[in-house]
Amino acid sequence: MRECLSIHIGQAGIQIGDACWELYCLEHGIQPNGVVLDSQPDQLENAKMEHTNASFDTFFCETRAGKHVPRALFVDLEPTVIDGIRMGQHRSLFHPEQLLSGKEDAANNYARGRYSVGSKVIDLVLERTRKLAEQCGGLQGFLIFRSFGGGTGSGFTSLLMERLTGEYSRKTKLEFSVYPAPRISTAVVEPYNCVLTTHSTTEHTDCTFIVDNEAIYDICQRKLGVERPSYASINRLMVQAVSSITASLRFEGPLNVDLIEFQTNLVPYPRIHFPMTAFAPIVSADKAYREQFSVSDITTACFESSNQLVKCDPRLGKYMACCLLYRGDVVPKEVNAAIAATKSRHSVQFVDWCPTGFKVGINNRPPTVMPGGDLAKVHRAVCMLSNTTAIVEAWARLDHKFDLMYAKRAFLHWYLREGMEEAEFLEAREDLAALERDYEEVGQSF
Amino acid sequence: MSDTLTPDVIGRRVEVNGEHATVRFAGVVPPVAGPWLGVEWDNPERGKHDGSHEGTVYFKCRHPTGGSFIRPNKVNFGTDFLTAIKNRYVLEDGPEEDRKEQIVTLGNKPVETVGFDSLMKQQSQLSKLQEVSLRNCAVSCAGEKGGVAEACPNIRRVDLSKNLLSSWDEVIHIADQLRHLEVLNLSENKLKFPSGSALTGTFSALKVLVLNQTGITWAEVLWCAAWCPGLEELYLESNNIVISERPTDVLQTVKLLDLSSNQLIDENQLYLIAHLPRLEQLILSDVGISSIHFPDAGIGCKTSMFPSLQYLVVNDNQISQWSFFNELDKLPSLRALSCLRNPLTKEDKEANMTRQLIIASIGQLKTLNKCEILPKERRTAELDYRKAFGNEWKQAGGHQDPDKNRLSEEFLRAHRRYQFLCLKYGAPEDWELKTQQPFMLKNQLLTLKIKYPDQLDQKVLEKQLPAFVMVKIRRILILASGGMVNKLW
Repeated sequence: MRECLSIHIGQAGIQIGDACWELYCLEHGIQPNGVVLDSQPDQLENAKMEHTNASFDTFFCETRAGKHVPRALFVDLEPTVIDGIRMGQHRSLFHPEQLLSGKEDAANNYARGRYSVGSKVIDLVLERTRKLAEQCGGLQGFLIFRSFGGGTGSGFTSLLMERLTGEYSRKTKLEFSVYPAPRISTAVVEPYNCVLTTHSTTEHTDCTFIVDNEAIYDICQRKLGVERPSYASINRLMVQAVSSITASLRFEGPLNVDLIEFQTNLVPYPRIHFPMTAFAPIVSADKAYREQFSVSDITTACFESSNQLVKCDPRLGKYMACCLLYRGDVVPKEVNAAIAATKSRHSVQFVDWCPTGFKVGINNRPPTVMPGGDLAKVHRAVCMLSNTTAIVEAWARLDHKFDLMYAKRAFLHWYLREGMEEAEFLEAREDLAALERDYEEVGQSF
Repeated sequence: MSDTLTPDVIGRRVEVNGEHATVRFAGVVPPVAGPWLGVEWDNPERGKHDGSHEGTVYFKCRHPTGGSFIRPNKVNFGTDFLTAIKNRYVLEDGPEEDRKEQIVTLGNKPVETVGFDSLMKQQSQLSKLQEVSLRNCAVSCAGEKGGVAEACPNIRRVDLSKNLLSSWDEVIHIADQLRHLEVLNLSENKLKFPSGSALTGTFSALKVLVLNQTGITWAEVLWCAAWCPGLEELYLESNNIVISERPTDVLQTVKLLDLSSNQLIDENQLYLIAHLPRLEQLILSDVGISSIHFPDAGIGCKTSMFPSLQYLVVNDNQISQWSFFNELDKLPSLRALSCLRNPLTKEDKEANMTRQLIIASIGQLKTLNKCEILPKERRTAELDYRKAFGNEWKQAGGHQDPDKNRLSEEFLRAHRRYQFLCLKYGAPEDWELKTQQPFMLKNQLLTLKIKYPDQLDQKVLEKQLPAFVMVKIRRILILASGGMVNKLW
């Protein structure tokens, strides 16, 4: 029961997915071929394993052969990235039908991802999704991993989300999206793709957790001592946050948080559903025992900009809701004390109309680290999801870049060629402007 | 706490309002009545004096403001290990539902049992505990004998940092009851060493021992190590350690040694730990080291020191010479290096050049500053190195023809890999070694000064023009002025 289906779209989504399932397998003791590590020397460990077996049913499907297959779908419009999975370390973990690739890619073009190229693949993707959904006893919802700036990540995702709403209207859909970094850009037409996809996906998503590469890049450099972070380092850090968010669904814990609970507690209005993610502690493996992190230390750290996975300054805005997901050696007494201390700090300002503000989840499994990774193993960690009005800064930046390009109609013909019209651009831009105004309105006092 | 002060209170670790201290004196301090405790604070500025009051010396402190007199009832002597665990990990009972009465027959008599359910729940919770964190929980002793072994025998990892344990005796009492103990963190405690030797078998399963900020000395470290035959990781950060002797029978299984922030360590002391056979990772961040030498390695040979060392961390030190990295090439197993924030590696502009030079200097390095060195990067780095020092190589006797190649010893020592690079990529050609001024326009400009001979009060104009323009002007002037060109320069 309570199964979750993960769909990984585009290069970003797929590479994050690769790291993500690697981490899940480590956490559940599943080997790269799908078989659970059975031989534990003493009974205590075995008892524990039984416990965990029952819970990871949400993310893994057990076949009759005893293999655990992830409930996931990897989709891309061109084959190179997916071939990486097909030949990679985890090739025997996934069923070949879960790895879908097209022949010609979206070329960083929303229009191709959504209309011309995407429309050829969508039916197959939906069919596979249906198959996976049928294997579930009580599907809770979907987790979509994608980037805003790429062609497939923006275009194909918006097409898919529309169709998913049609077919599975009552199921939750959560997104983990890679927002284009403010200063590090991987595509010139990113602003177009982002604005277009945000406009078309907003009404179909329940909650979108955004991360941006630049923030994680800085964290890797400053806190983890990695001179030149590669995408692998960045993804490994990001999936720690993803793992914390889904930990309640995969392990039993004293205070579990469901997928629907996220929505209920984090989203005050349907359109205001872009929480900011922060993770603490982020310690380099060289400094494993040098710094001690109590519950209050890590809770305070979450409110510092150096632990955020998105570049935005929450001090410039107000918090509407805050979800703290603790994992590891955490005791409710200490959590209450930490939250009380946070509430009394002036730098953490809540909106007038949300007096309580905090939702807490506790899970006793400590975070697992990937071997050869940069993070140290810690006893306890927290992932904070906060809905803050300061995130409007991210949208404003994006809109500004969009305006600069659109004023000159630069690069527009690539989209118009694939069947789009300028009206769609204008509509999308209007929608984002309305989103900015919505944020400003909720942030205002009575 | 009771007011009766027994002599064994001296030396105990206590806590007062979050500050930790050691008891140094117990008794009366005239003229004020009543018992007093004289304490030496961990924080040397917290106190009021150095142990003397109105001329009489009651106890000694290391700092003039390190001591205070405190009433015994204001001082927290701590609690025992098991109570601390229960305080932290056992959920409070639900209100009345656990108070079910049950009738049980013991022998012939019916007996009422109350609250057994909650007790059993508590006990099963504790017996499941494998990892216990009791940082700053005022643990000062093990508690009643056997209590821990009965309640939570399965504990494998304990964090007892920043508690009130005053001696290793107490630690041994706790550890004796935890047969599966693998990880023990005793950081920020000040522990006295026992006079007798420890029981063997106490720390037989221990793999990781953390003793950061405990003020431990090297001799004491070796003593601890003797009790831990299987020790794999040892953390000794910020202890002002001076390595005074070579560990002969101990520390032989250690794979990771963290000596960061021990400012008294110098490179000579490192020779004393150079023969630990299994040492794979050595962390020397922030120790103030600036150079390192392996004198036993000749030209083209590896050193016999640090035979298994794979990962060396030397961040935040004083490395300012390239020879440091040249020496590191002598380590036979070195695969990864982290050397951020050193004077040599600080310049942001030249970060890339620094990285390349380090890669080229250490042949077997696979990871630098946590970034994998890809084959292409290594190739570029080595080619640049070969070119950069080509002139020096020539001057030191290098020659493209291997028969005529007579390199000086000095050069070979300073550039250990140069010969190897020549074999790999070929000796550098002469045309590669010519230093060229980059063709920039500003290097080609000449200055022209123009004077007006008829108007002497006019300023002399100076203009910078490219040479070919100058030549043209000169020609025109020669033609026009019929030879009066001298006035123009």
